Amino acid sequence: MPKKKVIETKKLGRVFINGDIEVHALSEINISIEEGEFVAIMGSSGSGKSTLLHILGCLDQPSSGEYYLDGVFVNTLNKNELADIRNQKIGFIFQSYNLLARTTALENVELPLVYDRTGRFSNSKELAKKALEQVGLGNRTHHKTNELSGGQQQRVAIARALVNNPALILSDEATGNLDSRTSIDIADLFVTLNNEGKTILMITHEPEIAQFAKRIIYLRDGHVLTDELIHNRSTKESALKDLELIT
Amino acid sequence: MKQLLKTFKVAFKSINKNRTRSLLTALGIIIGVAAVIMTISAGEGATQEVQNQISGLGTNLLMITTKKEHRAGIDVRMGRRIEKKDFDILQKNSIWMSKLSPFIASGVRAIGPQGNKSTTIYGVSSDYFEILSREIVSGDVFTEEDVNSARKYCVIGETIKEELFAGTDPVGHQIRINKVPFTIIGLLKEEGKGTMGQDQDDMLIAPYTTILNRLYGHRSGYNMIMASALSENHIVDAKIEATELLRESHRIKEGEDDDFEIMTQIELQEITGNVTGILTLILGAIASISLIVGGIGIMNIMLVSVTERTREIGTRLAIGARESDILTQFLIEAIVLSLAGGVLGILLGIIGNQIIYKATDFYIPTDVNSILIGFGFSVLVGVVFGYFPARKAARLNPIDALRYE
Ligand SMILES: Nc1ncnc2c1ncn2[C@@H]1O[C@H](COP(=O)(O)OP(=O)(O)OP(=O)(O)O)[C@@H](O)[C@H]1O
Ligand SMILES: [Mg+2]
Repeated sequence: MPKKKVIETKKLGRVFINGDIEVHALSEINISIEEGEFVAIMGSSGSGKSTLLHILGCLDQPSSGEYYLDGVFVNTLNKNELADIRNQKIGFIFQSYNLLARTTALENVELPLVYDRTGRFSNSKELAKKALEQVGLGNRTHHKTNELSGGQQQRVAIARALVNNPALILSDEATGNLDSRTSIDIADLFVTLNNEGKTILMITHEPEIAQFAKRIIYLRDGHVLTDELIHNRSTKESALKDLELIT
Repeated sequence: MKQLLKTFKVAFKSINKNRTRSLLTALGIIIGVAAVIMTISAGEGATQEVQNQISGLGTNLLMITTKKEHRAGIDVRMGRRIEKKDFDILQKNSIWMSKLSPFIASGVRAIGPQGNKSTTIYGVSSDYFEILSREIVSGDVFTEEDVNSARKYCVIGETIKEELFAGTDPVGHQIRINKVPFTIIGLLKEEGKGTMGQDQDDMLIAPYTTILNRLYGHRSGYNMIMASALSENHIVDAKIEATELLRESHRIKEGEDDDFEIMTQIELQEITGNVTGILTLILGAIASISLIVGGIGIMNIMLVSVTERTREIGTRLAIGARESDILTQFLIEAIVLSLAGGVLGILLGIIGNQIIYKATDFYIPTDVNSILIGFGFSVLVGVVFGYFPARKAARLNPIDALRYE
């Protein structure tokens, strides 16, 4: 049985116009990602990684080309439909966590369910608690944002991305603000979630983090440079061993 | 609907998380609403007090004066003076007016055993005391006979007694008024301060005949004629009667205007009611400005709050909030804050009224309308001044908002 396509783009392009200057941030992007994949996106600064992620996450719309998310043709959706699709099909993880200040972990994780209009979730507290357990923070549910370490905050953010059971988890440099060891923990958490069936797409600058994924896409100047499967994936153990060799 | 409920919760949490800021935001409204309530109530209180005093004059009262016109801020006499002839005609022919008295007021210097003071003397007939129901606490009032003989008798107010005859019963003593010696035959019951703060006990009352003949040689005009109708039901009859008698006496032809004015106690009440009503309105309007200032305060802090919370707004949009969700959240925050400010302001206003009452004895009934106005205004302010920041929040581009430092 062929697997379902979570992402399919056809000749996707994004042009920013600043006065007279046109910036072609993305052009001719053809990507197809199936359910259960774990993809890392790499590329130098300004290569268009974030721009791509914003379009895939329905925060931005392409200037040209077509985008299908979980079978939905995104190009023609209006603002409210885009908001709803973000709420139902996407889980975002950001470099700077973006948690609500002075708010408990549980309430932060509940947040996407506040905007759920489908009514498919009956007990949001229960779901948020479960998501926090999934990221290993079952004992921190009532801690406030400022009482958690950076790594813990990012785990809360990951739980928030999981709570609505999205078709796709998008992460833009989730480990960018964390030390190497904590980064490896987060990457390992992604692997665990992927093993549980989540489709994950993560942007990263760090090759050793990208190495945890199953597939790497390199971008350069808004084009796909390479798109390859990884044969010798890192594990937490191998990554920690490599880390010790350096230090 | 369910979404609105959830947004309400979000807004409440957000207010609760920033209690100090929320309180500061509401402060402008609290003070504004309290100011509105206190000024409107004070205006109403003053109005009631004036009305009470006018009704205290006696509900049957009529005042007949010469016609005056208001020119460049001064009253200019337009008609003939009201004089003895008018009084005699009214007294002789009237059916509906039971009591009549001329009224002459004049500034004088009174000299007693303990010093002298400038005061006002009123020349009236013996009926005056009944028309205005002024009572005597010691001695007696003068009689018709005293008036007819122009006796140099007078009745004095409490203030005169205090200043010129402190510690003694002044009745029977002499008092010199503009050098003319008068015998004090009675002491008026204390009335207290008038509406405009004037001392109603700083006066002398003497027969009008005495004042015209002994004090002024031969002055003939009256300031007015005071009369009381037979009963409250006959005020209009009395007014019509007096009008007809005076028109005849003044030989005014049909179609020509009266050259005198007759004011009843009810009309007086209406006029002063209008004046104090306008006063209340002006005070209320001034107080409303403070509400608007409070509203601008809300807008200001909400705008700052939107900027401060740009990342939060970006996050909410990214995880699926619609623009309308953000708009309603911020609008609800503004409305709840100004509403809470309104309620607190109402309480503060009521307490303020009580404090003023305790401190100055000026009773201010907290006006129900002022509460409604204050409440309605605060909601309006919340909507009007909350909308702009809320719209600004809702229209943020999520990508820029997420990156905002
Ligand atoms: N809103 C915008 N207006 C104009 N140009 C933009 C805008 N957003 C991105 N760009 C341009 O598009 C190109 C790609 O930017 P993007 O943020 O996707 O790069 P990136 O690969 O995520 O880089 P980094 O690794 O530094 O985050 C850059 O040249 C950038 O200047
Ligand atoms: Mg980027």
